[in-house]
Amino acid sequence: MITPWINTHILTFIVFAPLAWGALLLFFPERQGHLVKLMALLGATGILAVGAGQLLRVSPDALGTIVFERFYWFSAVGIPVEYHLAADGLNLWLVLLTLFLVPLTLLGTWNSLSSRSGNAFALILLLESGMLGALVAQDLLLFYLFWEAMLLPMYFLIGVWGGSERRYAATKFMLFTLSGSLLWLVALLYTAGKAASFAPGVMAQAVAALPVSGQRLLFGAFALAFAIKVPLFPLHTWLPDAHTEAPTAGSVILAGVLLKLGSYGFLRFALPIFPGAGLHFSGILAGLSLVAIIYGALVAMVQTDIKKLVAYSSVSHMGFVMLGIASMTLVGTQGSMLQMLNHGVSTGALFLLVGMLYDRAHTRRIADFGGVATKMPVFTAFFLVVTLSSIGLPLTNGFVGEFLILNGTFISGFGWGRAVACGATLGVLLSAAYMLWMVKRVFWGPANPDPESGTAHLHADLSLREVVVLLPLVVLIFWMGIHPQTFLVQSEGQVGRALVQAQAPAPHIGSLSAEVKR
Amino acid sequence: MTLSAAEFSAILPLLIPALGACLLPLAALDKDQSTVKWIRAAMFFIALFALGGGFFYLTTLWATGAQPSCGALHMDRLAQFAGIFVMIAAALAVLQLWDHLHQEGWVKGETLALLLFSAVGMILFTATSNLILLFLGLELLSVPLYALTASVRMRAKAMEAGMKYFLTGAVAASCFLMGSVLLYGVTGTLDLGAIGLKLASGGADPLALVGAALLLAGFLFKISAVPFHQWTPDVYEGAPHPISGFMSVATKGVAVIALVRVLAAGLPFLGSRFQGAMAVVAILTLVLGNLAALAQSNIKRMLAYSSISHAGYILLGLVAGTPAAYSAVLFYLVAYLFMNMGAFGLLTAMGLVGDQTTFEQVRGQGWKRPDLAIAACLCLFSLAGIPPLAGFYGKYMIFKELILQGHISMAVVGVLASLVSVYYYLRLPVALFLEKATEKAEREAAERPSFKAPLAAASVLACAAVVVALGLFPGTVYRSLAVKAVQDAFHLVR
Repeated sequence: MITPWINTHILTFIVFAPLAWGALLLFFPERQGHLVKLMALLGATGILAVGAGQLLRVSPDALGTIVFERFYWFSAVGIPVEYHLAADGLNLWLVLLTLFLVPLTLLGTWNSLSSRSGNAFALILLLESGMLGALVAQDLLLFYLFWEAMLLPMYFLIGVWGGSERRYAATKFMLFTLSGSLLWLVALLYTAGKAASFAPGVMAQAVAALPVSGQRLLFGAFALAFAIKVPLFPLHTWLPDAHTEAPTAGSVILAGVLLKLGSYGFLRFALPIFPGAGLHFSGILAGLSLVAIIYGALVAMVQTDIKKLVAYSSVSHMGFVMLGIASMTLVGTQGSMLQMLNHGVSTGALFLLVGMLYDRAHTRRIADFGGVATKMPVFTAFFLVVTLSSIGLPLTNGFVGEFLILNGTFISGFGWGRAVACGATLGVLLSAAYMLWMVKRVFWGPANPDPESGTAHLHADLSLREVVVLLPLVVLIFWMGIHPQTFLVQSEGQVGRALVQAQAPAPHIGSLSAEVKR
Repeated sequence: MTLSAAEFSAILPLLIPALGACLLPLAALDKDQSTVKWIRAAMFFIALFALGGGFFYLTTLWATGAQPSCGALHMDRLAQFAGIFVMIAAALAVLQLWDHLHQEGWVKGETLALLLFSAVGMILFTATSNLILLFLGLELLSVPLYALTASVRMRAKAMEAGMKYFLTGAVAASCFLMGSVLLYGVTGTLDLGAIGLKLASGGADPLALVGAALLLAGFLFKISAVPFHQWTPDVYEGAPHPISGFMSVATKGVAVIALVRVLAAGLPFLGSRFQGAMAVVAILTLVLGNLAALAQSNIKRMLAYSSISHAGYILLGLVAGTPAAYSAVLFYLVAYLFMNMGAFGLLTAMGLVGDQTTFEQVRGQGWKRPDLAIAACLCLFSLAGIPPLAGFYGKYMIFKELILQGHISMAVVGVLASLVSVYYYLRLPVALFLEKATEKAEREAAERPSFKAPLAAASVLACAAVVVALGLFPGTVYRSLAVKAVQDAFHLVR
């Protein structure tokens, strides 16, 4: 009875099951914390099993769509809003990444939260629901609703369970994101009013009839909202605060999935709806991405807090993602798709590792450590693998993503392509510098002799639970590095079609369509 | 004089609560200590019964589609909508009053009677386009509210608030009356529809313009739009919490509905002049309401300024001025009813009495009653316009219509204002969940006699449930209530 329903409504199930389950768990009293945590973990794992099983089983149709659900929802002031969910090449792996990261995060931060951890776990499930909804929503108003619905659980995760400056960080996160998305709402309503629909395809047709300056203004409003989420330089200032203050679970989800929604928004909505304006601004986007790559890396280098260092490295890595998208080539954009997953896996793992270190030492200052390798060899091994993947060592995932992005930027045919690609390569170099320098100061050398130091508080190496959390991530790191085709094949057709659309008016169409055919 | 059945059915929605209001003081006459509990329960039961009866009758009327009228009293769909709206608001206020008055130790017979009389005035105010009846309705709704504001007489603040409300309200009422007199003097008729026709044919008489402006000022006072807003924070702070909630929702609501009728009926000749003036007032209201709310340390004052800012959003809808925009405004009112009654209800449900309503006092209290606090937070997020809650759709529809009408800059001001509002709405959840109680507050809370407030708590939970449900199915209420109410009202007057 229930199985056929799930087969046809798998998307509704994965979007709303975490919401229902999390809302139920919110009502358990605090003394049932352990039971709630267990139920949250089981729920998230079950949803992963059902979702992944179903989504990987069904093969995509000619247009790349795997499953979809679509029906009329409501209509207010004359514009119909549809309940339209779909999984396709563009979002399949991001959906799976989300489904996969949530149970790992729950298990990885099992004992990290000081109080009311049951409530935090329930909130993470609510957050999962919002993220998955935003990923699979095809109607723009529906996307907007899920996009905003993600804010509140994250706000409370940072605000209740965060560090000492948590209220400041949470409020900053909230206001930054909202300021972008509210202006976007105006642009969205305007565009939808012109198109009399919230479907991206119909909106794109209506936009084509607008004057060029209007298109650019609207694209600007869309881009602002997404760029804040990515976050693109100079709109990134909320991210280090939010990451540093958030509990480990919040940081993992934030880095793993939330940021991707910004770049995903560019790919899914902003560029297809405003192809002309997107092309016009691609130089600026690429320039800002380059600044983010270099600036993020330089600032990461001088951090004294490990978590803040990882946070700034996120700015740098997400700069790569945006650069690939701005290159408007199949290679570059596919690199961005992969880099989104890479960043989710590698940076998510880094935040988990930093959290495990913090749980033991109760400090994250680099100077408080030294010689951790002598005390925690297994931990050090995991940390090193993840670090190398974050740097982009060949055979790990980071290499493939960054290589494709740099390649795509180089051959993009834009005037700035080669220069920016060369500049971004410097960013790869810098990332090796700040990561390895941090590893050297934290892990190598003799153990820090100070009895008050972080190293002195490290008594136990990783527990079985923590190894179970990290192992799948490491497997993924190598899988994505050695056989990236698994993760690229699904999105290729769709990205190609989107690019042909976006490039139609461009002068260098020849080079690209050849590439797409290949 | 005999009434036909249709005429009788037109005034029945007024008669039912009025009858209840007359019964209540009789019940309160009994001074026997041994039966006082039962008498009080009976009083609240009578009040709820009268409101429920009115609600039931109006919904039946709505379902049949009948739109009876009696003289200048038109119980059309718009008035029925207003009636249902007022009955629900009053019923929520009665539920919360039961707990609040017991907490204050001030259960008096007249309170509920005044509330019901005010509800009668509100329905009358929305059900006519005759200037005399409008004025009658305005006074009938206002005078009981002046007394209700000061109903907890032992508090100096309440007395002060009541006096302020009365004096400023009297000025507003005289403005309204003066405007009516001028319009009557120019046109020789009291019916707004006829006034509109005469003025439309005769060109704009300056006296008529002054009259219309004075009339508008009377409405704007009740809506608490800038610059007629100064009474709002003081009055809401001094009044009992449920009464503040009731005033912010119902008074504003019926004033808006009556204004929609007046605009549709009598004053289209003002045209672009009206739009310009309304646009300025709306923007000022939004900016001032939201900025002033940022600086408040008292929850009730914060909610008062927030209610001013919501008047701004509603006025933006009136600026757009299409039937779809009016429907959007009505939807906004429905959403506002539940989210604001929920927010004010939290104060009662948490047992805060008198002026103990600062953010300081609720610090960390959310963890004690998480269900209640989460419900109230949902109402606040809805007030802030965070999707997918009811308040978002209210704003969405109004902004949508503004943009479609080409007022993009006003929509941008609107969304920026709601961005600011997020900051102060978040302060309550922050205080409830993110902050730890100060020692002083803990001590005070321990000393305070503990009251259970089951009815107020239930009303908050119900409000939150409606806010969420409206967020999931906004189309239903919009189509079945708001659109119909506006459609039929416009048929009637044109």
